[in-house]
Amino acid sequence: MAEKVTAYRFDRIDETLSQLNREDCAIIAGGTDVMVLHKSRRGVPPKFSKPIVFIDHLSELKQVYQTDKDLHIGACCTYTELLEHPLIPTPIKSAIKTIAAPAIRNRGTVGGNICNASPAGDMLPLLYVYNAKVLLRSVNGDRFVAISDFIQGPRRIQRLHNEIVTEIILPSVLEEGTHVIFEKVGNRNADAIAKVSFAGFMRINKERIEDIRFAFGAVGPTMIRSREIEKKLVGKTLPLADAEIDTIVAEFDKIIRPIDDQRSTAVYRKTVALNLLRYFLSLKQ
Amino acid sequence: MKLNDISTSVPKKDHKGKVSGQLPYISDVKVENMVYGVLYRSPIAYGKISTIQLPNLPAGYEVVGSEQIPGPNYVKIIKEDQPIFASEWVNYIGEPILMLVGKELNTLYRLLNEVKIEFEEHQAIYTLEDAIYRKSESGVTMASYEFGESLEIISAIEHGAHQIIEEEYDTGYQEHVYLEPQGMLALYKDDEIIVQGSMQCLYYIKNALLSALACGEDEVRVIQSATGGGFGGKEEYPSMMACHVAVAARAVKKSVMLVYDRSEDMVVTTKRHPAKINYRTSLDKDGNILSMCVDLFLDAGANEGLSSVVLQRALLNSAGVYKIPHFHAKGFVLKTNTVPNGAFRGFGAPQSFAGIESHIGHLSKQAKIDPLEYKRKYLVKQGDPTITKGNFRDPVLMEEMIEDLLYSSDYKKKKEDFQRFNQQNQRYKKGMGTSLFLHGCGFTGSGERDHIKATVKLVKTKNDHVSLKISNSDMGQGILTTLCKIVAKELDISYEQVFYPDPDTKEVPDSGPTVASRTTMIVGKLLERAARKLKTQWLSGVEQEVEEHYIHREMIPWNEKTFTGDAYPAYSWGVNFVEVEVDTLTGNVRLEKVYANYEVGKVIDERIMKGQIDGGLAQGLAYGYLEKMTSKQGKIQQKSISDYGPPTSLDVVPIDSKVFDNPYTDGPYGAKGAGELTLIGGAPAVQSAIENALQTSFQQIPITPEVIINSLWTKEGEEG
Repeated sequence: MAEKVTAYRFDRIDETLSQLNREDCAIIAGGTDVMVLHKSRRGVPPKFSKPIVFIDHLSELKQVYQTDKDLHIGACCTYTELLEHPLIPTPIKSAIKTIAAPAIRNRGTVGGNICNASPAGDMLPLLYVYNAKVLLRSVNGDRFVAISDFIQGPRRIQRLHNEIVTEIILPSVLEEGTHVIFEKVGNRNADAIAKVSFAGFMRINKERIEDIRFAFGAVGPTMIRSREIEKKLVGKTLPLADAEIDTIVAEFDKIIRPIDDQRSTAVYRKTVALNLLRYFLSLKQ
Repeated sequence: MKLNDISTSVPKKDHKGKVSGQLPYISDVKVENMVYGVLYRSPIAYGKISTIQLPNLPAGYEVVGSEQIPGPNYVKIIKEDQPIFASEWVNYIGEPILMLVGKELNTLYRLLNEVKIEFEEHQAIYTLEDAIYRKSESGVTMASYEFGESLEIISAIEHGAHQIIEEEYDTGYQEHVYLEPQGMLALYKDDEIIVQGSMQCLYYIKNALLSALACGEDEVRVIQSATGGGFGGKEEYPSMMACHVAVAARAVKKSVMLVYDRSEDMVVTTKRHPAKINYRTSLDKDGNILSMCVDLFLDAGANEGLSSVVLQRALLNSAGVYKIPHFHAKGFVLKTNTVPNGAFRGFGAPQSFAGIESHIGHLSKQAKIDPLEYKRKYLVKQGDPTITKGNFRDPVLMEEMIEDLLYSSDYKKKKEDFQRFNQQNQRYKKGMGTSLFLHGCGFTGSGERDHIKATVKLVKTKNDHVSLKISNSDMGQGILTTLCKIVAKELDISYEQVFYPDPDTKEVPDSGPTVASRTTMIVGKLLERAARKLKTQWLSGVEQEVEEHYIHREMIPWNEKTFTGDAYPAYSWGVNFVEVEVDTLTGNVRLEKVYANYEVGKVIDERIMKGQIDGGLAQGLAYGYLEKMTSKQGKIQQKSISDYGPPTSLDVVPIDSKVFDNPYTDGPYGAKGAGELTLIGGAPAVQSAIENALQTSFQQIPITPEVIINSLWTKEGEEG
């Protein structure tokens, strides 16, 4: 006998928020993580301890638009929709192409990737280096949270029960003159979970580093970023001296503490993370 | 459709059903009065069951265990060492102890959690290294063979040698990842149990059931259902599941369905044997081989299963395609308290070829000769003896196949281009590697004559439709089509007039298991002969039946004790060239080009052969660098396809392949075996390509990014 699950699918976002205010629910956008998380053994439907709210159809959550140089991405945009959207920056598109396979990309959403808060989340390193902000909405109104504050640990996020993530804002992302890279290291070229990932961001003015950011994925409970280390490079001129690069790599060596698991080893993850950092720092010389 | 050239492709017999998704697999089947089974499995690697505490079972839910087995409590394979339900000792994590049956899976899973079994744990053997160390202890060595040049002579040669090279080589697990996980259904009837499911070997299952149920020939019947991939994984393993459902059906008097989900299938079913191979080779001052000794160890897992036969094939291929002076080999099957290993496409040969190709490649570096050139010096030719004093009596086309690939791949220029590229590019390194290999077709030695004794039948109806009555399974490899083609062509009737119904032991004689690249060559030949016989007796509009039996062509008789004689009636051959690009920062390997030439006698259907080439080679390449399965304290670590990592369409490149004709007298239309051959060259070619790119040597497969990074970076760090 299949157990009953209560599911809501409101036409409007305000109805959705009111329901969330009344009742703690599991939110399903694309469902590509939630369904896996709740799956049962063969022949038995997934088990949910809470009612479900579907939000993937809400048009307010599917907009992509620009205000000044900021980019707003609706939380329920699927990866496929973002791949096809002209405003989405190329590095984000290349990151999306490394996610799963087309069937999953047709369902999975960027908001879902953030709220799943996996240590290996494929969108996260880039969102960290873009200083992404998460817009949350509830019956009480809107609030913005920096992504690095929003994600607190594996599957732990700063979302209240009555809130949904409506937008992801990438400040100043449409400004010229930045160099951004993303590298995902998986065991194969599709349908793979990252063993290590790296995002690097650099803004240069006449060979002088104005702004530089790095984020590492799958080497800790959440993305690793250090503003202190980044600051040490601001003002330096390119190409960086070997000693300067060595110092930065050594600093990250101290804070990157990956684990061994069925996908890879701690030694591998750390070595590769630092290799990718060093490679990024040595570029553009 | 009349067939002119047998090789020309035709629509596959099962094409419509598969493409439309209408073809039911066993898990799609529902019958009246059917219950599900779920297995309680050992949570420990080695120990004794002390107490079993069962939950209160609701009405309609029952438990089935060793007490319900009418016959002896073992799965009949070779040795009597694999219990149907463990009743006293458990030997690996995941070993079935009892089965709960009932209507709702949800309830069964809950009850399973409430079963409490206590064990007296004993010290387990978790690794092959540990087993090698303890191989003289009782029960650890399950089988061993030794043959070749006398050790005294070798010792004398080594004494006078310029140099002795010793290498140790390791190969890992490989998981079949058939698309359809294992599944079996026992239909209960008062006078008969019908077992239906995903399988390669109907009569292996029937024989196991006759033993387990201690019943008569007419009381059990085995029917193959559509089988979504086998690769050897459905050779012997389904016998255990068949015993589970049949014993349960007898006990509860209901039909019982047992289907594994993917993660269960990944951790408890058989895999390719991990192996350790030691090479000891003496060389003269120019790097020429004077003698070679090979010691080979296979990790059997917790019971012997088919491991001794796997070891035989591994040893028979231990010298690769080479004529090595003064060759000696010995091998061991060793027990560990891990999931039992079993049949897998290639059956011991992939381990040996990976090892010998690696070793010969490393010897070529010693001699400072291009690996391919060095290998060609030792390549066997027609008329050469085999390492077991048999004979390569048919023409060998290896030189032609190599020359062809040297030309089409532009080998020499490519290697120079890559060298230049590698000097300029700090991050990416390109390399090219080759492998030379063969596969012995059919059962080892006199197996076909002494054990299998295949029989085939053709039945003609009044409307002149002809049906194949054989016990072989189409598991995706296409024999529904190829065997029908052979019969149609021989009878000179249309392909659409020939049928191959799902094999059912009540209807078909034992034409042997669907294994060992034997089906086309052996069964196909028998069908060709049967068709020829039917043609001479053909009476239109009349029901007719013909039968044919295996005839053994005597060559140099095989002696299993001395390991001498012709180990195989015929060999298929192959050459692979692989180009890779290695990312030295991440250790990731990207295939750039794959070239493959094969010689399989005669192709029965070009498109089906291409399917075997592309699928087999992808699986073989992945064995060398991509697919990784590990066991930790007796537990398989990778429980999902994404963690294990078989190649996706983005990992494989189009394979540039060609098949050479070299018709073989005892195969239908000259055909030999093809299915396993295509896997064998993948891993060694990818290894030599990676070595060429990085200018280094590896002593293991898979060469994962972790292995590459360890060799490139970690050592440097330690030294610094």
